Amino acid sequence: MRVLRKYLLVALLSARSNVVYLSEVVGRLLFLGVILYIFSRLWIAVYSHAGSHQVADLSIVQMIWYLVATEAMMLSGPRVSAAVDLDVRSGTIVNYLQRPLSYPLYCLSHNLGERTVRFFINLLVGSIIAYVLVGPLALSWNSVAFFLLALPLAFAVDFLSGFLIGLGAFWFEDTSGMNLIYSRMTMIFGGMLFPLSIFPDNVRPVLEWLPFSAVVYGPAKLFVSPSVGEFLSILARQSLAAVVFAILVYWIYGRASKRVFVNGG
Amino acid sequence: MPKSFSSFLQLAIFYLKLNFKSQSEYRVAFFWQIVSMAINDSIWLFFWMFFFDRFPVLGNWNQRDVVAMWSVLAAGYGLGTALAGNSNNVATLILKGELDSWLLYPRAVLPHLLLGRMSVSSWGDFLFGVGAYLFLVHPSIENFLLFALLVPIVGVTVVGFSVGVGSLGFFLGSAETISENLRFALITFGTYPPSIFSGAAKILLYTVVPAGICSYLPVEALRQNSLELALLAAGGSMIVLFVGSAIFYAGLAKYESGSLIKLQS
Repeated sequence: MRVLRKYLLVALLSARSNVVYLSEVVGRLLFLGVILYIFSRLWIAVYSHAGSHQVADLSIVQMIWYLVATEAMMLSGPRVSAAVDLDVRSGTIVNYLQRPLSYPLYCLSHNLGERTVRFFINLLVGSIIAYVLVGPLALSWNSVAFFLLALPLAFAVDFLSGFLIGLGAFWFEDTSGMNLIYSRMTMIFGGMLFPLSIFPDNVRPVLEWLPFSAVVYGPAKLFVSPSVGEFLSILARQSLAAVVFAILVYWIYGRASKRVFVNGG
Repeated sequence: MPKSFSSFLQLAIFYLKLNFKSQSEYRVAFFWQIVSMAINDSIWLFFWMFFFDRFPVLGNWNQRDVVAMWSVLAAGYGLGTALAGNSNNVATLILKGELDSWLLYPRAVLPHLLLGRMSVSSWGDFLFGVGAYLFLVHPSIENFLLFALLVPIVGVTVVGFSVGVGSLGFFLGSAETISENLRFALITFGTYPPSIFSGAAKILLYTVVPAGICSYLPVEALRQNSLELALLAAGGSMIVLFVGSAIFYAGLAKYESGSLIKLQS
């Protein structure tokens, strides 16, 4: 219990420091507003051109609220790989190694604390914008419960991916390129910008089984169109991705730690 | 005026050589940053081509115009931020008191500051833009010359806008997030077809967030092979640069310097 408490304190501290810098919050929300506005215009044009109430299995209202969910999730994500890369490259990681805590778990709790606060602020403001743009979404208890239950694993998988990329700094001169490509894959093949249902039938099943969809598409789809079967399937895919990535982090971090040398007195 | 312009060109060439030499010391990172940015842009472009093929909402545009939009914006943004790499860092320099060291040189502050850093990954944008235009649009020689004229025009617009929003740091204190998100907003608006925007939004896109000047107008110039439209874009870019510089110097006049003591490497 004492072990858990220290990581909980890290998460709380990180959450509190995120509401202090008001200009940061305003800056993020401004971009959220811009994105939602552009996508509402784009999808209104698509629905009007299609002359149908349903595109990619969603109505226009569901589509915009789907985007609220994906943008709230992804814009809340701290830059994990850049932070780990900097810790490795600058040698700051040594400071964590001599503390009575695990560096990966410290980063995870810091990340979750920061992300939770940002996520709920984004979701609140995004919901107001979506309400103004297209009206309310018919929410059920299931949609809210499934969405919130799928979030922790989604955030954990996203964190583990970023952490793995950041650990690459032990071997590579630069990890920003890998992170850029990961973020692009999440945006497009993870369903951040569009639901995966817009892709052709032969491609969609592959994309749904990739870890990117466990991070974004899965939880957001549950938010606008919940079903028990889908919920269980998403939890299974998220758990599989989380276990695989956690094993990889454990193994690679173990090997990387042996490459840390401390010089000087 | 001609003397000061030739002095500026000499300085630009000197910094270009110096920055290339220093960045290429880390050869793998140097090339990987360029390649990963080009891959990132290619993923975007091919996705949007797929999207607009599935949902044809481009108004009087076609797929070729979407490629032209991405090409001219990527190449212009790449050229501008590769040469004036500090244009994206103005808010950070102000916040951290790192502007002080630039004030000590017997040079005009803003151009010297902008040229002082190179953004390596931006060369990836530039190469992607030129390559995509050549290989996907198949332009005539005349049309490609027009493209070559428009690329620096777009670059000037992007740099001028970045300077303006970064200079908000003089007035707001911490403006890193807000200026970053306004830059993202410019690029995001600039990569969607203008047919989805109407009314007041269109006015904003030619004034407050000048995506019209760095994207729609250049594409229209390329579509119509119109030098007049290219010159109109050039005029717009000069206004954006003038406004950005005016905000910078107005802020600099009230700048009270940072208390951080730091040696510039």
